[in-house]
Amino acid sequence: MGSQDGTLELTGLRRTYGEVVALDDLSFTVPPGQVFGFLGPNGAGKTTAMRAIVGVASLDSGTVRWNGEPIGPQARSRIGYMPEERGLYPAMRVFEQLEYLARLHGMGAAAAHAAARHWADRLGVGSRGEDKVEALSLGNQQRVQLAAALVHDPKLLVLDEPFSGLDPVGVDAMSEVLAERAAAGATMLFSSHQLDLVEHLCQSVAIIDHGRLVAHGSVAELGRAGKVRVSVRVAGDAAGRWAEHLGPAAQVESNTDGTVVVTLRDRADAQDVLDTARAAGPVEQFGFVRRRLSEVFRDAVGHAPQDEPKAVAAIGGSS
Amino acid sequence: MTGNWWTLTRLVIKREIRERTQAKSFWIATVILLIAVAAAAVIPAVLSGHRSTARVGVVGGDTVALTQAALEAGRITETTVNVITVPDVASAKAQLRSGNLDAVLVGGTEVLVKQNAVFGSKGTLAGTLAQVGGFAKVYQALPPAVAASVARSGVGLPIHGLIPPPQGLASRFTGLAVAILIYVIIITFGMRITIGVGEEKSSRVVEVLLTTLRPVQLLTGKVTGMGALAMAQVAALAGCYLALGYALGSPAVQGAAIGVVVAGVVWLLLGYAFYCTAYAAAGSLITRQADAYNATIPLQVPLILGYVLAYTVLFADGVSWFYHLLAFVPFTAPVAMPVLIAVGAAPLWEIALSAAITIASTVVMVRLAATIYERAILRTGGRLKVRQVLASVS
Repeated sequence: MGSQDGTLELTGLRRTYGEVVALDDLSFTVPPGQVFGFLGPNGAGKTTAMRAIVGVASLDSGTVRWNGEPIGPQARSRIGYMPEERGLYPAMRVFEQLEYLARLHGMGAAAAHAAARHWADRLGVGSRGEDKVEALSLGNQQRVQLAAALVHDPKLLVLDEPFSGLDPVGVDAMSEVLAERAAAGATMLFSSHQLDLVEHLCQSVAIIDHGRLVAHGSVAELGRAGKVRVSVRVAGDAAGRWAEHLGPAAQVESNTDGTVVVTLRDRADAQDVLDTARAAGPVEQFGFVRRRLSEVFRDAVGHAPQDEPKAVAAIGGSS
Repeated sequence: MTGNWWTLTRLVIKREIRERTQAKSFWIATVILLIAVAAAAVIPAVLSGHRSTARVGVVGGDTVALTQAALEAGRITETTVNVITVPDVASAKAQLRSGNLDAVLVGGTEVLVKQNAVFGSKGTLAGTLAQVGGFAKVYQALPPAVAASVARSGVGLPIHGLIPPPQGLASRFTGLAVAILIYVIIITFGMRITIGVGEEKSSRVVEVLLTTLRPVQLLTGKVTGMGALAMAQVAALAGCYLALGYALGSPAVQGAAIGVVVAGVVWLLLGYAFYCTAYAAAGSLITRQADAYNATIPLQVPLILGYVLAYTVLFADGVSWFYHLLAFVPFTAPVAMPVLIAVGAAPLWEIALSAAITIASTVVMVRLAATIYERAILRTGGRLKVRQVLASVS
């Protein structure tokens, strides 16, 4: 690690607001070219960390490096940031606003003009380009907000809760753009407090709770890790009675209308489960169950990722 | 880095100017101010103009010729003149004092009025009376050919007022216009800065901006953009005042009054420089636009004080020690010093000293305000107090 390839490295981030510890020795890396989810319940410290990355919040200690270097003014012009509480001039026209932000990130007048129109069109708000932002619906304002984060072709995207408040069509459009940017090689970090909802979008995640890292890695690996679980359904056994014959290595976790999820010591025991099921009747369904991210969280923390009061966000940051 | 610093700051300046000039309220305010300034330029000219009817007394000499001269003066100034023959100068003066007569033409020697016109007598009934009376005298005394050549070189009779006019009223009047303008410009543009900063903070757009801008760039761009607009507006207003004043021959744009206009522009610049960052700092403390007025009260009170008390100076004799002191306090100097200059109560060294105090305190104010702004602009939550912000470790 520590390279020029676009990797974002957070090392030992710590930030307290009085008694509240927002970030507690938080370290993880974000590789380029992936849709990387930064997940955790509300109040876990995601916003504080993201504000620190883009330089609008200070840290008590810890470093943020990108391309192996601390983020300076030059690097900042190549970051696209979407704050949690959206940030646009309400009375400014959409095109004007996007152009202005593009120019602040170092683009020339002509390029900024073209990019503003390109991204507004791309996100479906091109026809509203001459309208003031405040005249747009909240969903469209959010599209403009994303366009504002993308308009200068950033190499690092820091998006705080980009999916919150979007309708399903908006979610699809947003996911598509995120995947496309990642495929184009950008480094991307987006946050969400709805772990399972964004699971399928992410290639990798960092999950935090109370400012501490809970889990970190590719979604596939995290899903496979932990206890082995199989889901089995035997035809004609709507109550899942066959499971009563399972040996001591297998533990029934749930039984939903005959679909039984069994937790095992290791993968070898799965064959015993299959044999037991077969003995009871024709096996309709048999498969390994991946952990969902909320389960990854629960396994690590011991409770579900319930939302907590937003104490930290309310206290806010100081420059 | 320096080049880039200005490139980005210039973008902020341009945005401020564009946003403001796109707002209807800006143009409405400009038009209202232009009308006010035009009125201020026209009023002195109107005050020195004629009345529709006047009672003119004639004393001594050829009563018929004098009456004719008085009627002629009335015709020229479009005044309906009632001529009254008065037995002697003493009773004419008594009638002038009582207001029974507006002017008296004393056969071939002088024109008497109660008080000399504040803004000069050119074009007034008394002035015309003096001219016509002078002609009459010349034509009576000399052969017509000689009289014509004499008349051409000016033959006006002297005009004597029974009581002297107030000193320098023209420049006092201009001083009032300047005091009002400085007060209005600083407060309106200051409030715009406060509201603009508050809006950036409450809409959170500042979080996006500050990923590439440093706070001091955003602050500099905002106060410079607003300042440029303020100065453009002032230039238009001063230009309108001077142009109309000249066109109407208003004494408000002559002599000492010009100096008051120049001093006003200089002090407006100094005052804006002193106050603009403070208004920005006030904006960084608030989270809702509704708080803008409360947050700026401490900045408005000194200006209001300097402006309101200006009336006691401009329309009274002498300057109180208290108002004199205000001209050396940085918060009130931008209004108080031009007022002192208008009444001629400030020697050059005092003007220089007050300017030096204002400039030095502007440096202190800018540093303090920039510190408050930088620390407060990204702090969310409720409205912040200055002390709380300054005490916090950034």
